[in-house]
Amino acid sequence: MVLRKLSDSGLENEHPAVSTPKRPRVQPKGVLKNGHAPNHPPPADDATYELPSAPNGQSTPKKANGVTATPLKESGLKTPTHRSKARNLFATPTKPKPATAAATPSRLKNADRSAKKKSARVLFEQNEDREWDGSEQLAAEILQDDEPQIDKAGDTVMETVEEGEATKPAGNDPKPAKRRAGRPKGAANKRSPTPEGELPAHERYFFQNRAGTAKTSNKNLNKVSLLTHEEYFEKLGQYVDPCKDEKEYLLSLHHRSFPQWFFEFEEGFNICLFGYGSKRRLVQQFADWIYTRSVSASANPPAIIIVNGYAPGITIRSIFATIASAILGDELPSKLGSQPTEVLELLQSALKSRPEHDPITVLINSVDAPSLRRAANQALLGRLAATPRIRLLLTADTPNFPVMWDISLRDQFNLVFHDSTTFFPFAVESDIVEEVHELLGRKGRRVGGKEGVGFVLKSLPENARNLYRLLLTELITEMDDGHQSDDEAADGGAGDRTSENNGIEFRLLYQKATEEFIASSEMMFRTLLKEFHDHQMITSRMDPSGMEILGVPLSRDEMEGVLEDLVLG
Amino acid sequence: MDPDGLEEALDLSRDRSQYQGVYIYQPAKPGKSANEPPKKRRKVSSTGAQDPKSDSQQFIPLLNGEESAEGVQQRLNTYKQLWSEQEQKIQGILEDVDAGVLTDVLSFVRETSPQTCNGCIPTALVTVGSNVSSLSRLLSRLNDHLTSSGEGGVVVLESGDATNLKNSLKNVIRAAVTNTEGNDGYQKFLTDRAGPRVLGYDLDLLNDYVQRKGTKKLVIALRDSEAFDPALLTDLLSLFQSWLDRIPFTILLGISTSVELFETRLPRSCVSLLQGKHFEVQDAGNCVDRIYEALQTNPNGKLWIGRNITSTLFERASDYFQTPEAFSRMVKYACMSHFFANPLSALLGDSKRPELFQGRFIEAIRNLPSFRMYCEDLVEAGSPMEVRNLLENDRHLLEEVFNHLEIGQQRMRDIFQAVTLIHACLQHTQGTKKSTVSDLSVRALAGELGESQVVDDMLATVRAMDSEKLEGVLATLPAALSNDSTLAELKTDFGTLLETRPDQELLRSEYNINSSVTKTTVVQQRIQLSKGKANLSGQDLEYTKIIDRLVAALQEYFTEILIRPQELFMHEAFLFDLRNPLKDNFAPRPRFAIERAMGSPFDYLISSSDADQSQAKISAKQPAAAILYQLYLESGALVNVHDLWQAFLAIFESEEGNKCDERIVMALFYGALSDLKMFGMVKNASRKKADHLAKSAWLGL
Repeated sequence: MVLRKLSDSGLENEHPAVSTPKRPRVQPKGVLKNGHAPNHPPPADDATYELPSAPNGQSTPKKANGVTATPLKESGLKTPTHRSKARNLFATPTKPKPATAAATPSRLKNADRSAKKKSARVLFEQNEDREWDGSEQLAAEILQDDEPQIDKAGDTVMETVEEGEATKPAGNDPKPAKRRAGRPKGAANKRSPTPEGELPAHERYFFQNRAGTAKTSNKNLNKVSLLTHEEYFEKLGQYVDPCKDEKEYLLSLHHRSFPQWFFEFEEGFNICLFGYGSKRRLVQQFADWIYTRSVSASANPPAIIIVNGYAPGITIRSIFATIASAILGDELPSKLGSQPTEVLELLQSALKSRPEHDPITVLINSVDAPSLRRAANQALLGRLAATPRIRLLLTADTPNFPVMWDISLRDQFNLVFHDSTTFFPFAVESDIVEEVHELLGRKGRRVGGKEGVGFVLKSLPENARNLYRLLLTELITEMDDGHQSDDEAADGGAGDRTSENNGIEFRLLYQKATEEFIASSEMMFRTLLKEFHDHQMITSRMDPSGMEILGVPLSRDEMEGVLEDLVLG
Repeated sequence: MDPDGLEEALDLSRDRSQYQGVYIYQPAKPGKSANEPPKKRRKVSSTGAQDPKSDSQQFIPLLNGEESAEGVQQRLNTYKQLWSEQEQKIQGILEDVDAGVLTDVLSFVRETSPQTCNGCIPTALVTVGSNVSSLSRLLSRLNDHLTSSGEGGVVVLESGDATNLKNSLKNVIRAAVTNTEGNDGYQKFLTDRAGPRVLGYDLDLLNDYVQRKGTKKLVIALRDSEAFDPALLTDLLSLFQSWLDRIPFTILLGISTSVELFETRLPRSCVSLLQGKHFEVQDAGNCVDRIYEALQTNPNGKLWIGRNITSTLFERASDYFQTPEAFSRMVKYACMSHFFANPLSALLGDSKRPELFQGRFIEAIRNLPSFRMYCEDLVEAGSPMEVRNLLENDRHLLEEVFNHLEIGQQRMRDIFQAVTLIHACLQHTQGTKKSTVSDLSVRALAGELGESQVVDDMLATVRAMDSEKLEGVLATLPAALSNDSTLAELKTDFGTLLETRPDQELLRSEYNINSSVTKTTVVQQRIQLSKGKANLSGQDLEYTKIIDRLVAALQEYFTEILIRPQELFMHEAFLFDLRNPLKDNFAPRPRFAIERAMGSPFDYLISSSDADQSQAKISAKQPAAAILYQLYLESGALVNVHDLWQAFLAIFESEEGNKCDERIVMALFYGALSDLKMFGMVKNASRKKADHLAKSAWLGL
């Protein structure tokens, strides 16, 4: 955290130094790099850390400074207050001077001096922008400190700052972890993400979205083995929730609202529950409550229909059909019609012709789940909600669910909203492992990575194995070629990139396959590929020119491993 | 047996249902889940035995459960009675508002035919503006009129039903037939046909139906015509046009923008098929104002809604284009909350038997802020004995309560009479911006109306009135004012003055602008303007005196009447003014709720164990999603997943030390990350950088 702040504000400091003071933050980074490239040709990804030592940007701003000089008195007045503030907010100023830093004394001194100069300048031309990102506080700190801050610039340090509790990254990465890994635990709330004072919403957006802070480390998850479904559930079963009692208590609080909700139903309102946490249990208990309540009050059991909106196969028509069957019972016509509207009209007319029928309660879990979210579905649900003697209770999980309904739809739904935060995990609602892997872009790996592919290959015939070997060889060669020709790719770590991004053209592979007598006809070739495809061992996509590109959903390391096994085995 | 094991068993027994899309609820088998439901059943059935009327179970006994069953029943009955009256009024207003357009449209539908439209389809274009719900009301009433007279019917086609031509035709035909024949009739109609079987979208079917029923008018209403695909609309209209000689179509288009805009979306060939008339529906705001006025100024009113709610209601009505129905539903909800949750509302009922109000109830009254205020006033006024009596004698207190309830309700009625009086007088001003009843009510309910500029304006208007207008105003003066002796005197004086005046001339007071004369004099080549009073006739002077007396009387009246309703004893019973249940339940802030739950989870999870959780700090004791969310908040637009994971792990490691199982923490991390993804807060940014997430939601925005 602190490290990041420093490096960022180092950047910020540099900006006014190079550009004119009027447009302090718009300076493109490229200019900066060019500016100091002749002096210290640095490795590309460390560029930002070298910034404070860039000497040639300094003379111009000084002049500019003279021209636009703010009265000295004013800044003189302001500095101390900021310094004290900075002290409070930044309790981590001192740093042990690392031994390596002493190795380059001249550079160190230069950088130190330039940092100090810049800090003075920052304090001198205070403006609102910089107050936000804390560069003024930092500047005050630099001026105050006798310790050179250079170690942040020369990227030799990987020292956790406060408390000395090292949470060093697992990998043996020599570069400093700029943001997360080195983050001291206690520092979490030292600086809030919102700036001090009340900002209007749009300003807050720009503050939270400001440029220049998006520096992240280059580490990736390759060393971390991801969870499989089995392991996930096994481990989750071992976890003891520290908030269990509190959650149960929260649920019991929601229980108390049941009579109120029922009264709202009676008066013709429909209900929408929102808030964080799975509300499935709450809904189930509400159904129990309604059931027991009306069983004790009258003889007939009430008709309650529960819909799980998160279920992937759910259709609006099936919901309507179930409601219709609840109303009509045995009288349900054998043919309902394929359109949801037809079924809806059937159930509406059935309700209309049975005025003595008890109201139907429909409880819909996760009405904002992807399968029900579509506007057409919501419009149909709205018509259901507007039907007399249909009572609808919806639960919504996402934060922005009200945008599903426009004003006339909202009118039809006639909803009363209740915050029912439960904190229960969305265990059933979403396939967590799958979702996370998709988010991380590793969806294809669920066959089990290297082992899974190897397992499948063992059970395939000889020429299928050969084809896969050929595919892997081609892909690896291509990646190597790409690596040499394209140096810039080194930046993101091209070696770590999965081969989903590059691939081999279908025709080319076919040609090679025939050359090696793996497949004699295209039919056969395709049959082999289909086998791979069924096991999610290959990916296929169209490139812009319409050619089919084949790839493998594995990382390079894994590809090499599989290839090794294929060749040796 | 420990409850956890049972809980799991309970959940397991429902396991099969949780992945099922839709199913009919079956109660858990009592033998299997002996935990919760049976306990409940016992509880409910025991209360059911106590109280034979199952109706009153809708309301739960308040006052810590010690409210008498009769009290509960009385609250419910009073609510039902009160609201049914209000609802009737609202319905009346809505019908009245729609009446104009309805008769216009109805006569248009009846009078036009393809012949009168040069072979084009007769079309009614109805612009609804912000009043979206009015069209459905209009259509259903139009349908009632047409079906009851046997002329035909209205078929409503929604844009959602019109995905393609076949579907829309099928829907139109089915809706037309079911409208009169019912669903079974439609099925029969399809099967009981001679000749070859016709497909559901064949307009021959409709033709057949029209012939059989002798339908003269078939109105096809496109409620949201802008939402239709223009190409589909064109096809549909040209098809209708070609069948126009056999089926008497009339098209009704609901338009929420403007006719011109709608026309530009259609090709000219399509527009040329239509010929019709443009109708405009009255704006919703007006309607809402009328409803509010009718509810609040009701001379027999028992319950009033207070200032906070009024402003909330109107804020929503104007900012969100709320429909009049939605407005009245919110009023209904306010009313519901009052009777549901306030035991004092039982006092508004008919039965005033003291047995109803005992024990806790009396105690509750004694704890009311307004009771304290009342007692303090009494002490200051020098009657401490009365206070003692109120505090000790339940019967006396109850009498006083009913007394004051009556007085308070009368005061409220008076306030709203004054409001209507001011409003009526202000209608005579020439000013541009006229305050509505709702504006005035908000001020009156806050007790600010008496000192406000509005009253001064109104008095100025009265001063400038001529005799004719004054006559009208005097006739409408509220009873409380006109019974006053000074006013009665004033009225008779005015009457005699009117009689004695010559030839029905209007009398003007000296404050009237017509009574002052501007003189122009040229003095040393400069123009001097001077204002002077015109010479008033003797009767005008007499009239001025009357006006002065009236204004004085009004001033006195307003200072007496326009008090702060919150100062009335027992106002808690007849004035409902809690903004919160209403605002939260109708204008929820789900995103804020989720952000709050994750940002500071202990706002919700009231901690029983240790106090150190109260300080806002990330700790492993928080729910995993909350921890991750707080870490997420600290990051920039791009987040490295690896670093995020390390930070997440570090929090657990630092608290649990070596006991911490990294894989368990990872399982939690998975759950939390999937939550963030579900909330749309992160998305994959691996295109930019390997294993990175892009932040897509910002706190408080």
